[in-house]
Amino acid sequence: MLVELKVNGEPRSADVPPETTLLKMLREYLNLTGAKLGCDVGDCGTCTVIVDGVSVNSCLMLAARANGHEVTTIEGLANSNELHPLQEKFEEHGALQCGFCGPGMLISAKNLLDKNPDPTVFEVRDALAGNLCRCTGYTKIIEAVIDAGRVMNAEQANS
Amino acid sequence: MRTLDYIAPESAADAIALLAEHGESARPLAGGTDLIVDLKHSPGNIHILVDVSGLEEFRGIEETDEGLRIGSMATYAEIMENPICLEKTPEVVAASHTVGAVQTRNLGTIGGNLVTCVPSADSAPALMVLDAEVTVAGTNGNRRMPIEEFFVGPRKTILQPHELLVDIWIPKKNLGKPSSFYKFGLRKGQALALVNVAAALELKSGKIVEPRIALGAVAPTPIRILKAETFLSGKKPTKKNIQEAARIAVTESKPIDDFRASASYRCQLIQTLTQRVLTRSLEIATAS
Repeated sequence: MLVELKVNGEPRSADVPPETTLLKMLREYLNLTGAKLGCDVGDCGTCTVIVDGVSVNSCLMLAARANGHEVTTIEGLANSNELHPLQEKFEEHGALQCGFCGPGMLISAKNLLDKNPDPTVFEVRDALAGNLCRCTGYTKIIEAVIDAGRVMNAEQANS
Repeated sequence: MRTLDYIAPESAADAIALLAEHGESARPLAGGTDLIVDLKHSPGNIHILVDVSGLEEFRGIEETDEGLRIGSMATYAEIMENPICLEKTPEVVAASHTVGAVQTRNLGTIGGNLVTCVPSADSAPALMVLDAEVTVAGTNGNRRMPIEEFFVGPRKTILQPHELLVDIWIPKKNLGKPSSFYKFGLRKGQALALVNVAAALELKSGKIVEPRIALGAVAPTPIRILKAETFLSGKKPTKKNIQEAARIAVTESKPIDDFRASASYRCQLIQTLTQRVLTRSLEIATAS
C-alpha cells in the first residue's frame, strides 16, 4: 500500500506491505537509519520518533497508521550548519557512550523540552523512562537534558 | 511479522461489519502496543487488522448530564492532559501515568487496556472503584454493563469477535469522589504491576459511606472486594477497621507465584497497599 507522510518537513512516500512498521518504512524504504531497531517490542525506546507532536515507538506503529501524518526523526534535529542544543549538550556532558540509545534518547528529550523547557529531574526521568541506556547510568543524560533546556530557554529569551 | 491486511474503516458500523464478516481472522487494532507485539511473536490466525483508533464514535472525553464519558480510543496521554479528568477523576489520571512509559502512553488506549484484559491492567481498579460502566457495540446494537462484567478471565472479555468497546462511563455522582490508586511494580517505568489497588469512599456524619475497593494482578481478572466494602460500610474510619478491610482483601484475593513475585509477597502487598489507599481516600474525604 502507498504510504505518504511528511518526514522532517519533507513529503516522502513508499509502497510498503500493510504489515510494515513505521520503523521499517523509515529505515528500509526511506533510508533514514537514525531510528534503531532494538527490542522490537516497545521496551527499549531506541526506535522513538515523533508523530504529530507526540513520541511513539515506531516499532509498534504500522506505517499505514502514519499515512498523512508528520514524523520527526533524529535526522530532523540538526541542520547542515549546527547541532540541536540537545545534541551539543549530550556531547559536552559525555551523555552517550556506545550511542545506540542516542536517537531515541534525543527524540524523547526533544519531545519533553518542546512541551516543558524547564523540567525537574523527576520530570526528565519520567520522560526518559521508555528509553534504555546500558552504558551511562543515565546521570549524564539527565544533566545534559536539563542543561539543553536552559540553553533553549535563553535562546528563546534573546530572540 | 506475518503478511497482514490493514483496513481503516470510516465508521463504527463499518468496523463491526468487517469484524462480523471476517470472524476470528480479523482483529480490531487500537494503540497496537500489545497487539503488534503479539503479531510479531506468537502464532495465530489473524490476517486482517481493522484500525478503529481514529473512529470518531470511540474518541473524545466529555462530561454530560449522565457523567464522564471516556471514548475507548482515548490514549493514556490524552486522559493525563484532559482538564475534566484531572479535576474529577485524578486517580484515573494517576493510574494512566503508571502505564509503560511516555511512548506507550502516547499510543496505548484505555479501551485497549481493558480489552486486552490482563489481570494487571492499571486502568481497571481506578475505574472500578468509581462504578464505571462500559458500552459495547456489535451487530445487534449497543449494550451497557458494569465494568466488572466486562472481564471474564486472563486476556478474555465478554466481547464477541464482532463486538467493540465504544466508551467508558463514570456516573456523575462519583465524579470527584475521594479516591486513591497505587501501583506497585519492580520499577517506576516499563513495569507491570505486582499489585495495583484503588479505593474510593465518602464520609458522612463520621461514618464511611459507599466504600469501594478494587485490586489488580491478584486474581484472574481485576476484582472488587465486595466483602470488605460491606464490612466498611457505615463503620467509623478507625485504623482497626481499615486493617480489617485490608485483611479481608487478602483472603478474597488469589494471587499467583510467578517470576515477578511470589503469592505470599503479593499477599503482604495487598494488605499494606489496601490500607494505604483507604487511608489516603479518608484523608481526601476529611479534607473536602
